[in-house]
Amino acid sequence: MNLAPHKFNRFEFNMRVAIVALMTCFVPLTCLAQVGFAQFELDDLPEGLNLGVSNRRDNGEMTALVRPVANKVASSVVQVVCGGRPVSLGTIVSSDGYVLTKQSELTTDPIRIRLHDDRLLDARVAAVRKSSDLALLKIDSPQGFTPIQWSTDSPPIGSFLISPGRGARTIGIGVVSVLARPVQHQGKLGVHLVDDSDGRARVQTVIRDSGAEMAGVEPNDRIVAINGQTELSGKSVVKRLSAMYAGESVRLTIERSGALLEMDATIRELNLMQESENDSKVNGPRNTRLSGFDRAIQHDTVLDPDECGGPVLDTNGQAIGLNIARAGRVMSYALPASLVIPEMTLLLNEARAAAR
Amino acid sequence: MRTHERICRLVRLRLVVVASVASWVIAISISLGSSGLAFAQDVSSRKIAPGDSFGGFERDIAASQSSISDDSPNTVGTVVEVPGSLVRLYQRGGTPRTIEELQLLERQQQRVAALASSCTVSVQIGPAQGCGVIITGTGYVLTAAHVAMRPGKHAILTLAGGRQVTATTLGMNRGVDAGLIKIDPGQNGSQPWPHASLGSSDSLLSGMWCIATGHPGGYSEDRGFVTRVGRILSVRPDSLVTDCALIGGDSGGPLFDIAGKLIAIHSRIGNDVADNLHVPVVHYDEHWDRLVNNEAWGYLPGFKPALGVTGNQAFGIAQVVEVKPNTPASTAGFRQNDIVEEFGDAMITDFDSLKRAVADTMPGERVVVWINRGGQRMKLFVEIGRAE
Repeated sequence: MNLAPHKFNRFEFNMRVAIVALMTCFVPLTCLAQVGFAQFELDDLPEGLNLGVSNRRDNGEMTALVRPVANKVASSVVQVVCGGRPVSLGTIVSSDGYVLTKQSELTTDPIRIRLHDDRLLDARVAAVRKSSDLALLKIDSPQGFTPIQWSTDSPPIGSFLISPGRGARTIGIGVVSVLARPVQHQGKLGVHLVDDSDGRARVQTVIRDSGAEMAGVEPNDRIVAINGQTELSGKSVVKRLSAMYAGESVRLTIERSGALLEMDATIRELNLMQESENDSKVNGPRNTRLSGFDRAIQHDTVLDPDECGGPVLDTNGQAIGLNIARAGRVMSYALPASLVIPEMTLLLNEARAAAR
Repeated sequence: MRTHERICRLVRLRLVVVASVASWVIAISISLGSSGLAFAQDVSSRKIAPGDSFGGFERDIAASQSSISDDSPNTVGTVVEVPGSLVRLYQRGGTPRTIEELQLLERQQQRVAALASSCTVSVQIGPAQGCGVIITGTGYVLTAAHVAMRPGKHAILTLAGGRQVTATTLGMNRGVDAGLIKIDPGQNGSQPWPHASLGSSDSLLSGMWCIATGHPGGYSEDRGFVTRVGRILSVRPDSLVTDCALIGGDSGGPLFDIAGKLIAIHSRIGNDVADNLHVPVVHYDEHWDRLVNNEAWGYLPGFKPALGVTGNQAFGIAQVVEVKPNTPASTAGFRQNDIVEEFGDAMITDFDSLKRAVADTMPGERVVVWINRGGQRMKLFVEIGRAE
């Protein structure tokens, strides 16, 4: 098990950078974490809370004002229900029964969709585009399906965005915070790997709160297979893992003290593993997958994690994108229509070809 | 169904607020390389000379609006004309009456955000990162006291596009979390810095719309500044509460009204997404001379720094008479009769100078302390606590 000192340490994809960054700011981070989290006196908290709530930018008056805007797509927005639980919204993209939604939230069967008129219909996954976290659902014998009309307009920073839910109910109002940009994929198993003497992947450290830790991976475990496929080198393990997004489950075959163990681990967002309890509180509930989008518009609409997958509208009622993640206190991400349209076309082609 | 959900949320909100924890809106980041960005070729700006009280800028919309367009560098400020039909919303706040009015408001937000881009800066002091906003062509930068930390500290400011300049912290009113920084001279040729136009805090009302910019999570070159829009939820003498959502890294960044005037500086947050506190600009105006002259004073309730030793000024040296149990000093290993010689950057000569050095820290800050124990110099690490 001895590692020659010159032996190349291999990190999981991007992990080298992440760990260097962590070390660089480890001391101050701890320090500032302590600076930051102070209990405030009661009288330092917002007064007139009711007044405050009534003046919020997404209050009842505002949602009533934008109702005509949300109404323009009322019959194109559905709720997606998995195993009896609402998990996301969906956007109807064709009259022959196809609905676009957020793929990583589709965790349990059966899948159903609830239409604007309350009909509950069975659905199945017809095609998946992992790189954009999109899934295309198919509903058999659809009736009265109104597809959304996308607009590739790109509203400037500061423009209002309206997120309609099922039945023209506005679920949030916000603004464009940052124009569409790539959002780097940050899904990690949460191990730091080194090459063992025979070249195989040996776990050096396990990141706290990672899927690896939760699955029971320990330092010095050797990862010898992933999803049943034998891995002969650390390099190939890193390659396999780096292609997996947050929320994906992976079966690891681990060699520990001569015995083989099977473990199921979940890929998680790196920044979720690293954040403090306080950060987690102020950020609020988020989706499992928050990163890895070719391009995403960052906006400040407060969404619940189960409110992604629906369209996002400008003030003219044009669908300029599709909400793809609630990513933190100050941010939600939407895929711009200029990305959704080609992805949707690929998905529809694939699904229709398979149906033939 | 939605109403029911709203009620549930409301209840939850109250519960959360009762037990709320407020955080500084500061973050850590690793500064990135700089690249040049040419600002402004022209324009005589309204300058606030050092020592000027900045009462003079108020209500000068007419004076500066004429040459503003979305694309011009804002060396003449950030003021954007408010169309007649928006005056009610501008002066009183409230909900737009029509979609057309909403779109006019939106147009204001777009223009203010475009102008805010070049005066919103990232502030790096040591490992801590916050924000600031340039308010004069001469390079005064408003920030939060907890970002600036202490007068005389070296800061690196990252401007729009990634250009970095050096700056020095000036005075700070820790009692409201207001801090001042000045860009070191000679870094922009003879050109004025692009800067924000100052508003006042007099006429602010709950329900008014506002625009927040900053660098949440720290400066990111491929993302740039981040804009949020919300409304004032509460106006108090020492802070504004808005639903412009802030998080670590935003501290010290600007809050504008819909005419593009700077009304407050981001300070701290509670757990709820609508608990975002900002320092009204009036606090900078009121104590401008003290801030410019490097004075630092006050502390927020619950934020008075404490070490946990007693001493005697009459000794002429900072010798520890007693180390109180269960204090930062006892945890750090201070002992009776230790003589404190250095506290962070400060040379300690007597007990009063030690008290001043402690008062210049923030609870939670880690400080290296050099002591003399029986003739031996020793280094202790202390984490500053809070006074009861």
